[in-house]
Amino acid sequence: MADHQTATYSSDIAHGDASHEEHTPPFFKRWFWSTNHKDIGTLYLIFAILAGVIGGAMSGLMRAELMNPGVTFLTGFTDQSLPVAAQLDAAKNFYNVLITYHGLIMIFFMVMPALIGGFGNWFVPIMIGAPDMAFPRMNNISFWLYGASAALLTLSMFAPGYGDQLGFGGGWVMYPPMSVSGSPGPAMDLLIVSLHLAGASSILGAINFITTIFNMRAPGMTLHKMPLFAWSVLITAFLLVLSLPVLAGAITMLLTDRMFSTSFFNPAEGGDPILYQHLFWFFGHPEVYILILPGFGIISHIVSTFSKKPIFGYLGMAYAMVAIGFVGFIVWAHHMYTVGLSVDMKAYFVAATMVIAVPTGVKIFSWIATMWGGSIEFKTPMLWAVGFIFLFTVGGVTGVVLANAGIDHVLHDTYYVVAHFHYVLSLGAVFAIFAGWYYWFEKMFGIKYSEFWGALHFWVMFIGVNVIFFPQHFLGLQGMPRRYIDYPDAFALWNQVSTWGYAITLVAMAIFLIAMADAFLRRRKATVTENGWGNPWGEGATTLEWTLPSPPPFHQFNELPKMK
Amino acid sequence: MIKSTFSKTIAAGAGLAAFLGSAAAQQPTPDGIGFQGAATPIAEEVHYFHNVVLMPVITFISLFVLALLIWIVIRYNKKSNPVPQQFSHNTLIEVLWTGIPILILLYISLFSFDRLYKEDVIPDGKARIYAAQGTDYAFANDFNEGRQIKRKGHVEVFAIGANNKVVELDESAYTLSGLGEETVVVSLTEAPAAGSRIRIVGGRSRAGVEPFLGLFGEDRSEIITAPTITIKAVGRQWGWDYSYPDFGDFEFSANILPEAEAKASGQPWLLAATENIVLPEGEVVRVITTATDVIHSWAMPAFAVKIDAVPGRLNETWFKAPKAGMYYGQCSEICGKDHAYMPIALKVVPRAEFETWVDSQRDLAGMDPLFSDETRLAAAE
Repeated sequence: MADHQTATYSSDIAHGDASHEEHTPPFFKRWFWSTNHKDIGTLYLIFAILAGVIGGAMSGLMRAELMNPGVTFLTGFTDQSLPVAAQLDAAKNFYNVLITYHGLIMIFFMVMPALIGGFGNWFVPIMIGAPDMAFPRMNNISFWLYGASAALLTLSMFAPGYGDQLGFGGGWVMYPPMSVSGSPGPAMDLLIVSLHLAGASSILGAINFITTIFNMRAPGMTLHKMPLFAWSVLITAFLLVLSLPVLAGAITMLLTDRMFSTSFFNPAEGGDPILYQHLFWFFGHPEVYILILPGFGIISHIVSTFSKKPIFGYLGMAYAMVAIGFVGFIVWAHHMYTVGLSVDMKAYFVAATMVIAVPTGVKIFSWIATMWGGSIEFKTPMLWAVGFIFLFTVGGVTGVVLANAGIDHVLHDTYYVVAHFHYVLSLGAVFAIFAGWYYWFEKMFGIKYSEFWGALHFWVMFIGVNVIFFPQHFLGLQGMPRRYIDYPDAFALWNQVSTWGYAITLVAMAIFLIAMADAFLRRRKATVTENGWGNPWGEGATTLEWTLPSPPPFHQFNELPKMK
Repeated sequence: MIKSTFSKTIAAGAGLAAFLGSAAAQQPTPDGIGFQGAATPIAEEVHYFHNVVLMPVITFISLFVLALLIWIVIRYNKKSNPVPQQFSHNTLIEVLWTGIPILILLYISLFSFDRLYKEDVIPDGKARIYAAQGTDYAFANDFNEGRQIKRKGHVEVFAIGANNKVVELDESAYTLSGLGEETVVVSLTEAPAAGSRIRIVGGRSRAGVEPFLGLFGEDRSEIITAPTITIKAVGRQWGWDYSYPDFGDFEFSANILPEAEAKASGQPWLLAATENIVLPEGEVVRVITTATDVIHSWAMPAFAVKIDAVPGRLNETWFKAPKAGMYYGQCSEICGKDHAYMPIALKVVPRAEFETWVDSQRDLAGMDPLFSDETRLAAAE
């Protein structure tokens, strides 16, 4: 029993011979009652891929609608027996529902499960030389809470929101009064409960990571020797534990405002809608670092592996992430420059926000310095990593522009912001996910992907996402507000270009599916080195997962590895 | 020499800025890639900050990182460099890449906070007109604590000729005494012609593009007076209600102008509204916003203004009404189904026309006219 084994973790070391070998549980027990960190990691990855397909399809609907001025596309998804005006209303509501759930799905159900639940579960225990997570059964419930959360989110999309319109269409930020009096139907209630479950899942997962990393590192692996991906997940876990309870509080207040006539956010009874925004963004800003920090960790490993060089400025890299995590908690109101904050408060948030550029710059330059002087093999993961570094830089510098409240008064809630956060997330976090996916693919599944399809996937996607999002800077500067189903004719060109970019990206996703089908059907054997390690990347791959076979045994490290 | 080359670079940057923010000032330019044209001194400053300060910095950083990556791809690939070096530290370069970004941020902040305070603090300048009589004109320094006139830059003096032609007097044409005291006396070196008038503007609120870091470039800044007109914008699903508290608090609603009517009136669909906000040229306007149902946001891109309309709160901002013309904005906070269909249309007209409009609105609200024919004629002159 896996849980038993964890419980007797210390005694395992004592009689650490590899005699009790593979005893993989039967299918149902293995995948539904799973307590094995690698299986749970795989479940999270499958979950993230499914969510990514749904969230990506939603952006396809949005881009198709925005391809031309006028409401031309989404009316096709409404009840055709309704009068034209009612169809138009339903289409407008549907658009708002799409932008809301696209954001929520991509953040909570795609990026977080992929990076933290997926790669975190898979590789944090292995990298620190632990046999499993500290609390394997809590790990299991973390995953299944996500399942329940996703089910409620899906239900919420098809429940009444406003009038007879389905779903909640107030944006992923769920600002009241839009989320209270503006959407009285059960859609919002289901959404709140869904996010409660997702939050509970993430808090449990975060506690698990913190406990595992603090207590289960292999002998000799001090924190200052720990791989950067483990560092990144540790910091992310702290951000989750500290920020998610605040979101939980905020959405509970929404719920009681809706259900029990409290008036935390209702100005007619002395409440304040802006209070919600403060609470939300106290969670929301750390959340964006939660999305990107594990990606930072992955990129560090890939850059070092393929350059065949140690990470440049390892400690600086680790503490830059600590600094980013800390500063991430004290910059939240830069999302709120137009709500009517006092000018001195805005000035503080401008200064604090710009500070983030410094540790972020340290990371970018350290990755470059890691590559400098290296002997670099541009295998697929490295292509994604180099692409990440450049695109994250572009997204980062527009962040510096937006940090200035004086300019944000013009750009706030325009497509410039949309372009900015998609450069750091859609082109940052997602590139990091693909980088990690290709980097560890052979390790996780014991088969090789095709370098040809992997590289083609990268190049087509690199072009596609840039064509989607770069023109959105132009739209934003010209003043096109975000979350708009229709726009004046003057914005037509760049919207059309952006939609063509989506089409290119769609081709890239098809190539990804081909690459995966190719890998899983051909089942090319994983590399085994002379000493029995499953290491396809050679001397540059120095972390513990490469000392194990590919895939690793069901229980690894029956004998704990010793660090120098 | 260095300075002149640098100023040329700045001028080129400003030229690019002019290209990026193309000529049509009032609404989005088809296929445009930069800001809508700046219509107010604040918008000009914001565009200058973006186009001249930030764009070169962020473009340089992005291209610098790209160049390093390209160099790495060329120089440090497996073929060109078969044996990897193994260094992992270099204190000097780590200090540099921490220190230089801090310096860049300090450079940005030299401009950033100045813009922020100018945008957010309602100006308090005062303008007074005097009939020409001798050389000395007393200007009451009756500002709030910390806002009094203390330097020459806090005062502007204009001569208004008999033909109503306004000329700003050069700083050498007058001297100031009593700076920082209760009354500041402006002494002209030459007594103005009889029948002309003198307009003195005092105060510390200044807006408009100033020389780059005070070193070189044109000074287009001016002292901004306290708002003379307040408009109240109330957001609702899905349109705006406006009132003019200074003129009897008359109200009107502005909804989206249907597509056919917008096209018929030659206005852009989705930007044109059933009613325009009407304002007089050149006057400083205070905007206060609130909302009745959910949060909306009152935005006017050409003025660099965006302020949320929040139920239960009263937000305020300001702008200086630009030259006559139509200016358009759109609701900028998601507010439900018709979020994309609550435009903001603002018409700037000469003062006389504004007064006629005010009286017509008062008439609709059952109020007597506020502006007599005499005042209207006087203003029209």
